[in-house]
Amino acid sequence: MFTTGSKLLVGASLLSLIGTLVYAMTQGGPLGTLGLTSATAALMLLTGINFWVRDSNVSSMDTPGIGRSAAAHAAPPNSIWPMVGALGAAIFAIGLVVGKAITWLGLIVLLATMFEWMVQAWSERASADPVYNDSIRKRLLHPIEFPVLAAVGLGLIIFSFSRIVLYLPTSGGTIAFGGLALIVLLFGTLLAMKRSVGRALVTALCAVGAVGVIGSGVASAVAGSRPMTKHEIATYEEGTCGEGESEADDSASQALAAKSNLTATIVLQNGKLHADVIGVNGPQNVVTLPRSNPSHIQFKNLDSEPHRLLVDLGVEVKDAGTATESKIPLKLCSQNVRRDGVQFLSVNPPRPSFASETPYTFSVPGVEGASLEIVVP
Amino acid sequence: MTTVGSVIQKSGDPMISVPSGNRFGRRAAPLVVLAATFIAGCAKDAPQDTWQPKGTNARKIDDLQRWPFGIAGIVLLIVVAAVGFAVWKFRDRGQEMPAQSHGKPALEIVLTVIPALILVGIGIPTLSTIMDLAKTSDTECVVNVTGQQWWWEYDIPAQDGCGGIPEPIITSGDLVIPSGMNVLLRISSRDVIHSYWIPALNGKRDAVPGRVQTLRLQADQPGIYPGQCTEFCGLSHANMKMQAIALNKADYATWVANQLAAYEAPAKDSAAAVGEAAFISSCSRCHQVNGLANTDGSLVISRPDLNIYSGAAPNLTHLMSRVTFAGANFDLMTAGCRSAIYDATPDAFGAAYLAGVSPECLNVVELRQWLRNAPAKKPMFADPTNLESTGGLYRGMPNLNLTEDQIDQIIAYLLERK
Repeated sequence: MFTTGSKLLVGASLLSLIGTLVYAMTQGGPLGTLGLTSATAALMLLTGINFWVRDSNVSSMDTPGIGRSAAAHAAPPNSIWPMVGALGAAIFAIGLVVGKAITWLGLIVLLATMFEWMVQAWSERASADPVYNDSIRKRLLHPIEFPVLAAVGLGLIIFSFSRIVLYLPTSGGTIAFGGLALIVLLFGTLLAMKRSVGRALVTALCAVGAVGVIGSGVASAVAGSRPMTKHEIATYEEGTCGEGESEADDSASQALAAKSNLTATIVLQNGKLHADVIGVNGPQNVVTLPRSNPSHIQFKNLDSEPHRLLVDLGVEVKDAGTATESKIPLKLCSQNVRRDGVQFLSVNPPRPSFASETPYTFSVPGVEGASLEIVVP
Repeated sequence: MTTVGSVIQKSGDPMISVPSGNRFGRRAAPLVVLAATFIAGCAKDAPQDTWQPKGTNARKIDDLQRWPFGIAGIVLLIVVAAVGFAVWKFRDRGQEMPAQSHGKPALEIVLTVIPALILVGIGIPTLSTIMDLAKTSDTECVVNVTGQQWWWEYDIPAQDGCGGIPEPIITSGDLVIPSGMNVLLRISSRDVIHSYWIPALNGKRDAVPGRVQTLRLQADQPGIYPGQCTEFCGLSHANMKMQAIALNKADYATWVANQLAAYEAPAKDSAAAVGEAAFISSCSRCHQVNGLANTDGSLVISRPDLNIYSGAAPNLTHLMSRVTFAGANFDLMTAGCRSAIYDATPDAFGAAYLAGVSPECLNVVELRQWLRNAPAKKPMFADPTNLESTGGLYRGMPNLNLTEDQIDQIIAYLLERK
């Protein structure tokens, strides 16, 4: 009645049960008791399964059964997926402590492992021919694996490049990547000229290159970015918009978006202001700006002295008619800029100009008569 | 072996059932679709037809698209005929597989050079047209156009162009331009990307937040030229319409004078006067009426930026001088009065349009529906319980829960805004 395997497992289950009871009664530690109970439950489950399949023994008289038995099949090749799955589980666990991004990475690795392993397991049992089994796995998964691996590889390379560029000084990046491009070009030319170069050599060189780039990327990421100076658009603060009250900053507000999305350029020339408005011919003395919509304004100083542009949009009355009523001046100014330099401002008038007691203006502090009216319909 | 419909099925094969009666239907369906597409091209009343230009700029595009279309048609015929001939000539008749060859350099070169020449032939005039349509040096009139969910605002800055605009004009729904004049639109957006398109007058131009893009318009004749936002911009994108109104120079000058006329308060104790008070309390938080004053004489200044996500609402100073409302989505006039304008000849159009909306012509049914519950009339993101993503600001006009009396009063007031 009891097969060999069953005897072993029944004995192990009983021993585990006794051990659990003894431990629970003598030691009473909840963790140990829980562990031993789990082990006992697992052994009992295995015992039950073994009873059900009766040691998976096939009678020697059962010829078709022998042909179908597991022992009659070639053992499947080693699988990488248990290892990758373990890695995914470890990343997932670390992510639970470190942060969401790592958790998601672990989860993605686990899901990918589950999918790959499932398909591999299925393909290994598809037929008795291991070559055919391998081919159907490839047919099914290669259209997914290749693009995903290519995207991940490219992503790694691009990310590594970006870390290296951020680490190197501006001119150093140009030299380094110029040199790298030259090496790639030379390498490609040599390959094209000498067609007998072995595939293994090319693969090895590419692998060394990729490892070099990714390694440099990791090292650069660890070392961190080079120091970068931020040049913000200045906002109005009492006492900072006067004539020459701050240092000129030629690099301030040079954002590409601001430069490429101008509504108008306000030019200071010969002590006067005029506006070059996008789409309107000739210099303008009045600038019409939309209400409640940011307009990007460029200030160009053609005067010999450094100057800034001041935008005056009247006052904003807060809590009108109450005891806490206050008037807040709506002013904005650019940084000081030297001759031929430009600065940017984003102007967003909240109310029409006819609602203001004083006209809305562009002006230049310290330059009498350098003023332009702003109309907000 | 069994027979199902017209298909003979071998025992054990998957059964394919095609009843004989459906065969004709299945074969005819593509023909019906083709015929319907072809017939749709013959529609008489198709004001947004790109093949019917009504201005210089649209005509340049039309000139460009006609002959490449013809060439493409000829190429299509040649290809289809060649494929059809090959399919018929070399069909499987049980013959042996012919010898396979690879490469015909002379043929390949010819088949590469011919399309390349065709593309160069199309490319040169295309580039020339693109540059022509980007030109701004011959502008005679400038209009600022700002898109927002889901309507267009037009402000015409003070300028010597357009026949002279002494003070800025702001309006919405109807883009009024002088006919025969090169008008330059400076297009932008307050919220998301929209696209401005009056097919009869020019191509499309995206309205991008923070960016000013230009588009030339020119209308040969006075009339109405409808358009449609062509960049998906949210819930009511399909309802974001526009129309250009072209007036001859004299009529345009009359329109400008009317838009710049000083605000006239309603007669004391009239229904419109009561409506003015209702407008101030219910509508003026977002809608500006230039010249409207409080009882203490201070100007009523709307603050749509505090209530609406885009930061703007249509200026209603001269609402009844327009022919549509709610983003040009609904007619301000009843069908009979509407057709008097839309079907007017170019010579009579200006007078018909400038007459504005009279009490008899007002499409009071739809205007009442709009004031009663705007989001029910036009889908908008205006449910006050669901505005977390916009920080409590509405996208579009909310339901103001006006009473029927208030609606009547506000309509009486708006009827005087000509």
